[in-house]
Amino acid sequence: MLVIDGMSCVFGQTRAVNNVSLSIPRGAFVGVIGRSGAGKSTLLRALNRLVEPSEGRIHWDNEDVSSLSGRALRDWRRRCAMIFQQFNLVGRLDVLTNVLTGRLAHTPGWRSNLKLWSADDRAIAMAALDQLDIANLAPQRADNLSGGQQQRVAICRALVQEPDIILADEPVASLDPRNARIVMDALQRINRHYGMTVLCNLHSLDLAHAYCDRLVGMAAGRVVFDDVPAALTEAAARELYGMEADEVLDAAPTGATQPDGVPAGAASNASAM
Amino acid sequence: MTGHSPLRDAFLANRDRIADQHAALLDPGWRSRMGTIAIFGGGIVLYIASFFLLDMSLSNLIGGFRRLADIVGLMFPPTPETWSRFYLYLGAIGQTLSIAFLGTLLAAVLAVPMGFLAARNVVANRLVHLLARRSLDTIRSVDTLIWALIWINVVGLGPFAGVLAIMCSDFGAFGKLMSEAIETASDKPVEGILSTGGSRFAAIRFGVVPQILPVFASQILYYFESNTRSATIIGIVGAGGIGLHLSELIRVLEWQQAAFVILMVLVTVAAIDQISQRLRGAIIGRRR
Repeated sequence: MLVIDGMSCVFGQTRAVNNVSLSIPRGAFVGVIGRSGAGKSTLLRALNRLVEPSEGRIHWDNEDVSSLSGRALRDWRRRCAMIFQQFNLVGRLDVLTNVLTGRLAHTPGWRSNLKLWSADDRAIAMAALDQLDIANLAPQRADNLSGGQQQRVAICRALVQEPDIILADEPVASLDPRNARIVMDALQRINRHYGMTVLCNLHSLDLAHAYCDRLVGMAAGRVVFDDVPAALTEAAARELYGMEADEVLDAAPTGATQPDGVPAGAASNASAM
Repeated sequence: MTGHSPLRDAFLANRDRIADQHAALLDPGWRSRMGTIAIFGGGIVLYIASFFLLDMSLSNLIGGFRRLADIVGLMFPPTPETWSRFYLYLGAIGQTLSIAFLGTLLAAVLAVPMGFLAARNVVANRLVHLLARRSLDTIRSVDTLIWALIWINVVGLGPFAGVLAIMCSDFGAFGKLMSEAIETASDKPVEGILSTGGSRFAAIRFGVVPQILPVFASQILYYFESNTRSATIIGIVGAGGIGLHLSELIRVLEWQQAAFVILMVLVTVAAIDQISQRLRGAIIGRRR
């Protein structure tokens, strides 16, 4: 179980994450929602310790992981696999090697640096790719792949880490709807099949409703909503998203969503052209 | 290491099927590994063999260390002897700096059009491209020192020959580096500019130049620093600057003064490094 206790992340004057306390039980699929800049990304990055929390503690099964360093920190990172919006693969390496980097914490340095991956590691990486239906892409360079394929490679990299929890930071925000479904389905399958805990930042409320069994709403760095998706009424969502509400609620566009600089008539004129 | 996580077991459960389907990927084979080992091993053997072939003996070096220690001993304390000598050296360092600065700047300015001509993604004409490449190669294959000897015969002894020497050798290097930077620039911004109805020139001006500017600027700054050292060398053959004084001092065994001049060069290069680091930071700018 992941327990966050009074965590804040302060950058200069801004409190990107402000006194957040949460507990995530094993096997949960939790969506973190909120408008851009609400602190969702910083929250996830702080859990992986890519960002140092300024205050507060993070516990995993009673172990304080917010004070780890060196080898122990790397082992914690291995246990909480990150998936990024921009995939963060190494474009110049082939897909198989990208997935094998997920085995770095399992492999002694002299082996991995010489690319002498063990037969087990290779088999695990190929099995992960096979499970996401992209085993045939293994020898290709990662930057030759489409966004949806790259994100699936990133999920494979996360899986072969043998993590306890997957932290997915807007995993589908750069993808088209079809690929977004494929990627979210994959995360759901991993969650259901292996009981993997998933903490997933999502901008789209539709996806959050469809896949998560609990939603955490953030605004200005604070947790302002924490309940099952069904409890998120339209009014609550409007409050959570503010100006962006219509966009995520799929409502018909109104004048209010247009940028301030565009006169009300301009949009309809433009579409007539 | 965790021995038996459910994920690991699940992945390894399919092992036989995976091994059947993707045998080549699972086992890179002894051929590719032997290839890597052979290249590394061969390289090491070649390196050691060349020491014997060229008759380089380690005992000469060890025996010579005593004399090196003597020379270093003679260098202390470094001193210019008189104030008038100090001002003389200071002026000469200034001359060296000017040679490096003027030479580098001239080379950079001339290399810009040449770099674009030599870039495959800018000039489609293969003949132009080939000519530009080959002429850059030709110029670059002659070292700064040789250029200095040539220009001394053309324009006479002095700093002008030094400027021309640095300009020539760096023109070749800049042209090559720049054309390579242009070739690795992404096509996407170019496409973006063309899609707005911009001209081919505008696409280069707004799509390519902002991408290569930071790379090119940091190369120019590094070359300026490096040329300050090169200018010392070409000074020795008579192309102006501190090098002439330095070689003269070593020839007459004035080790203390030579050490002082070396220290002056060191301080100058360190100062340039500091300044160019700031400039580089300002030019590259922060992303965000």
